[in-house]
Amino acid sequence: MAIVRTEKLSKVYNPDTVPVHALRDVSIEINEGEFTAVRGPSGSGKTTLLNMIGGLDKPTSGNVFINGQEISKMKDSKRIDFRLQNIGFVFQHYNLIPVFTARENVSFIMLLQKRDKKEIRQRADELLDQVGLGERKDARPVQLSGGQQQRVAVARALASEPKFILADEPTANLDTESAMNLLDIMEKMNREQNVTFVFSTHDQRVIDRAYRVITMVDGAIHKDEIKSPLEGRGVS
Amino acid sequence: MKTLLTISWRNIWRHPARSSVLLAAIIAGLWAGVVTVGIINGLMQQRIDYMIESEITHAQIHHPDFLAEGYSWLYIPNHDEITNWLENDERVTSYTSRTITDGMVQSPIKTSGVRIRGINIESEIRTTNFHENIVEGEYLDSDIRNAVIIGQKLAKDHNVEVGNRIVLTFEDTGNELTSGSFNIAGIFRSASTDYDERNVFIRSNEFIALLGDEKVYHEIGIMLADEELAGPVVDELNKAFTGIHAQTWRQLSPELSMLVELGGYMVILITMIIMIALAFGILNTMLMALFERMREIGMLLSIGMSRLRVFNMIMLESIILTITGATVGIVLATLSINYFSDAGINLEMFAEGAAQLGWDHIIYPVLSSTEYIIILAVVVIITLLASVYPAIKGIRINPLEAAKDG
Ligand SMILES: Nc1ncnc2c1ncn2[C@@H]1O[C@H](COP(=O)(O)OP(=O)(O)OP(=O)(O)O)[C@@H](O)[C@H]1O
Ligand SMILES: [Mg+2]
Repeated sequence: MAIVRTEKLSKVYNPDTVPVHALRDVSIEINEGEFTAVRGPSGSGKTTLLNMIGGLDKPTSGNVFINGQEISKMKDSKRIDFRLQNIGFVFQHYNLIPVFTARENVSFIMLLQKRDKKEIRQRADELLDQVGLGERKDARPVQLSGGQQQRVAVARALASEPKFILADEPTANLDTESAMNLLDIMEKMNREQNVTFVFSTHDQRVIDRAYRVITMVDGAIHKDEIKSPLEGRGVS
Repeated sequence: MKTLLTISWRNIWRHPARSSVLLAAIIAGLWAGVVTVGIINGLMQQRIDYMIESEITHAQIHHPDFLAEGYSWLYIPNHDEITNWLENDERVTSYTSRTITDGMVQSPIKTSGVRIRGINIESEIRTTNFHENIVEGEYLDSDIRNAVIIGQKLAKDHNVEVGNRIVLTFEDTGNELTSGSFNIAGIFRSASTDYDERNVFIRSNEFIALLGDEKVYHEIGIMLADEELAGPVVDELNKAFTGIHAQTWRQLSPELSMLVELGGYMVILITMIIMIALAFGILNTMLMALFERMREIGMLLSIGMSRLRVFNMIMLESIILTITGATVGIVLATLSINYFSDAGINLEMFAEGAAQLGWDHIIYPVLSSTEYIIILAVVVIITLLASVYPAIKGIRINPLEAAKDG
């Protein structure tokens, strides 16, 4: 079963004044272990789609199923908890709690999940090691570079053991080296731990790293290509 | 949750200057509230004490019509029985009987109406401290025969001074007009110029000799062990004796009871002004802090922090600030009140006019523990109420704030 499935998903902003059809009947499926890039010109609806899949916004019509559960009809408080337990987020910026260190930021989400204290600390340390920040665990966001902050965000997203991680333009604010470095980390997690990623991007070099590329134009799926075979990566 | 406490605590220190200003506002609000209420209370209390101790006493007994009419034949009918009763009541610390009649004072230049008060020096000194009001000459304990002491205002009006003679004219108990010549032994100044203009004091024995054959008294002033006892004692006296009317100082001096009431309103008004200022300060600061963090809070909601927790996080900041501010504020306020209740606050520079009216310019603030608690509670409640609005705004933030581009 697909982790993410949308059915005829539509979103109209300002329906009463100047309607903007940001999504038109988008039906897609994302399977476990996929490493998917969503591309398209500015205003084509990438962010809108990701927000719907992430349960951050409600569609005008259509359905969103995560692991078989329809999330767009959930009550707000239930949706917040659903996000906590099932979805990891990496935003373009403002990802981290500024007054918390890298370790505290990664731990925080697990504390929200009410996990065991000892396990939390151990897992936070492990994840920060994995994203190459073993030495900067006690640094606060301002003391970290943009790329390092995004890596903390990836570690935080993974910490909650979500079904998949959504990242809207995670590299948009990064220089090429940091961007490629972040992609390396994401790809490695995908390859080694079968973590499912869906990210949007404008950057051709980032698109080149994806296994599946969804191209959006004017709120609709224009093209959906599997660029490299997924066999041998735990996905059928 | 300990983590929320950590975030809130660190958020406070994110803008040390801003938090300090807020903290200072809470401290200052509390301090100002306490000290102002203390000063008003002190002012009222001092005025009341002064009036009671110098003149009114806690309770007085008269013939029921005497206060309104002032005739010498409206004397207390059963004076000796009453003083006997007072003598044997242990709540009564002292009392003094006065012979009083309305009459005229005549000097070479004019004539004016006064209340002539004949006092028993010994018991008067035991009961009141009116003798401390003498500003010139002597009190009635002087050797001068037919001595009179008059108010400063009256002396000025009549252009007389110590050593001069005045003539007092009044009706005796037999309804006959009588007059006597009196020597000015001293001049007094009381709390009120009005009082100084309308009252003269002579010795009661000399007065009685002129009034008739009997010993007559028109007023008994009573001091009690506690002001609170005035009500019950007065009730008992009224029940025990007929033909008299006993009253408490509150009944005797509507001016004073109005003052007490006015003081109460002033306290409420001033605390309200301070509190409103404080509330707006807090509201403004917390809203500023919130608007700055819209995206951060959007992010927290996105990753799955519940709105309740977000609310608590914002409220915790205010609570920490309030507790810190309130603690420091109340300690400072208590120290100030304790210090000033001994040393007094000299309001001379603000209160020249007040001193003229007989108000003390050194104020000893007074505050009951109930008042401390009320002010503390008001500050805490206002602060927290002012933080609820930003916190509610906080939980209404759309998680999409975090996902916004740019
Ligand atoms: N809150 C909103 N209110 C009104 N219109 C909106 C809103 N958010 C997005 N839109 C419109 O919806 C359309 C899709 O926007 P969206 O942000 O999804 O595009 P995008 O592909 O993410 O663009 P970009 O590459 O610039 O990030 C655009 O025309 C945009 O102007
Ligand atoms: Mg976008």
